[in-house]
Amino acid sequence: MIRLLNVSRHFQRGPDVVRALDHVTLTIPDGRFAALMGPSGSGKSTLLNLLSGIDRPDEGEVEVAGRRLTGLSEDELAAWRARHVGLVFQFYNLIPVLSARENVELPLLLTDLRGPERRRRAEVALEVVGLVQERFDQLPGTLSGGEQQRVAIARAIVTDPDLIVADEPTGDLDAQSADAVLALLSELNREFHKAIVLVTHDLRALRWVDEVHHLDKGRLLAGDEALRASETLEQALGTARRHAKVKP
Amino acid sequence: MNYRTLVSRNFSRGRLRTVLTAASIMLSIFLACAVLTLPSGLAALVERVTSGSRVLVHNKAGLSYMMPYSYLQKVRAVPGVTAATSFSWFGGIYDEPKNLFPNFAIDADAVGDIWAEFQIDPQAIADFRRYRDGALVGYQTMRKFRWKIGDRVTLRSTIWPVDLDFRIVGVLPEPHGNPMWFLFSRTYMEEALRAKGLSADFAGMIWVRVDDPANVGTVMRRIDDLFRNSDAETASETEKSFFESFMSSLSGLSNVILAVGFLVAAAVVVITANTCSMAIRERAPEIAILKALGFRRFTILGLLLTETLTLALGSGVIGAVAAYGVLKLLAALGATGARPGLGPLSMFLVTPWHVLEGILLSLVVGVVAGVVPSWGAARKPVAEALREVF
Repeated sequence: MIRLLNVSRHFQRGPDVVRALDHVTLTIPDGRFAALMGPSGSGKSTLLNLLSGIDRPDEGEVEVAGRRLTGLSEDELAAWRARHVGLVFQFYNLIPVLSARENVELPLLLTDLRGPERRRRAEVALEVVGLVQERFDQLPGTLSGGEQQRVAIARAIVTDPDLIVADEPTGDLDAQSADAVLALLSELNREFHKAIVLVTHDLRALRWVDEVHHLDKGRLLAGDEALRASETLEQALGTARRHAKVKP
Repeated sequence: MNYRTLVSRNFSRGRLRTVLTAASIMLSIFLACAVLTLPSGLAALVERVTSGSRVLVHNKAGLSYMMPYSYLQKVRAVPGVTAATSFSWFGGIYDEPKNLFPNFAIDADAVGDIWAEFQIDPQAIADFRRYRDGALVGYQTMRKFRWKIGDRVTLRSTIWPVDLDFRIVGVLPEPHGNPMWFLFSRTYMEEALRAKGLSADFAGMIWVRVDDPANVGTVMRRIDDLFRNSDAETASETEKSFFESFMSSLSGLSNVILAVGFLVAAAVVVITANTCSMAIRERAPEIAILKALGFRRFTILGLLLTETLTLALGSGVIGAVAAYGVLKLLAALGATGARPGLGPLSMFLVTPWHVLEGILLSLVVGVVAGVVPSWGAARKPVAEALREVF
């Protein structure tokens, strides 16, 4: 269970205070595949950072998988993330001098596992995300965008976390690769019961997620506002589908 | 894959930069080790060329002032003196002005006793006494001009209006003989000067051999007392103190060289720190990702510092060992005489202690250069690091 209670986050930009999140309250039950949507600057990534323990709120409470994150120190949060959260970024952010397998092994360095076991788990994770074995020892620079994102997802799941957070995971991919990545995340959610929170602008994600939360100007939309946002998205998705159908 | 892999793989990015940084550290440690040999090298040089039972007597007013030649007989009569010779600078050049080397007129009968540890061939000493134009020449000077025993050479004095022809009768042999000196009989110079109507009643210095090193102080006092209140009072000093005072004029230069050497090392620290800083800044996105994955601040600090320290230490070891090897090689080359200019380098040896100091210095370079940028990158909160790079 992810629970945010009356959470606010402000940033100082020069003389101005930017309210990135303004008294947001949100609950996402265990094992759900949730999407956070909204225009740029609406606070999606800030919200994602708070519920993944990357950032701390100025006000309010954040609780994930029964652990209250508010009040934990930077190092305590790091230790918690290493064990409980898997992260996927828009630009994959793999270490360019490490092979695909070594990139996936990276979070396991923070565990007590021995070398051979780390290697075995990394290979299992790479098989789960469907990367062909011949690619395991290749450097990220020699892989396609879709393959790199698969490696990044393998890195996110290799520690068997409770929660996977993905920030625009399809933002840098072509349509085919984006569909494959969304399908993969959905499969991880269904088969391995991983809670996934996705920040995206990609309307294709609506086909895969269980719930969508709309943000605008640091506020979580609710009631009529949320309904209108969903309808707008549904219309946009319908248009996109029709457009896709008429394409040769 | 382990932390060692992670550190070593990071060296493979920007290979040229890694190589250039390593080379700059290597060269600075090489230089630091080389300049560290200066004080001990100069001391060893003094130790090598001096004897505990030899005393040098000169005019109290300074080395450029002469003493009457009659002083020599009075000095020889002082109790404790076993041998003595006058020692006068001739200022001779061979062939052309650039070929100036130390050449002195001495009393031929004393050479074997005064410089007994030179281990001059007895036949050469006998010939030196027999031939009034005989000369004993240091081994490096012999090699420099490709002279051999029996050769005849002419020296043109730069202070007296005379040219003297010599026959080389022997060598001041290595390793104990003075490598540069050219010694010849004072009688020969005296005749030449008299022929020009010049007086030769002078001695630039007087070398004295004392019977026992324990008596050196007493003998020096007796000699100086002997000439007190005369027109040319004397100042006696041990050979060691004479060379030390001569070398002290070089110690200022030595200190300057030491200071420059360490300034170079300091400059390398700054350059390395700048390089590390740039390298870490370029990797800011990766460091942010490592933090997001759960790597703690001290783990990241450790990884970054390990990289810097490995680079500095590895380069430092190579630089220090290279200094050890190169100076040893130069010393060996100098000893062969193939390159006479390298001769004194045999005293300037990098010792294992210098190597250790060089390696420790490289560690300091690594810590100082790495700690600020590494800590700056490690301590930044993960959210701030991610916001800055994405």
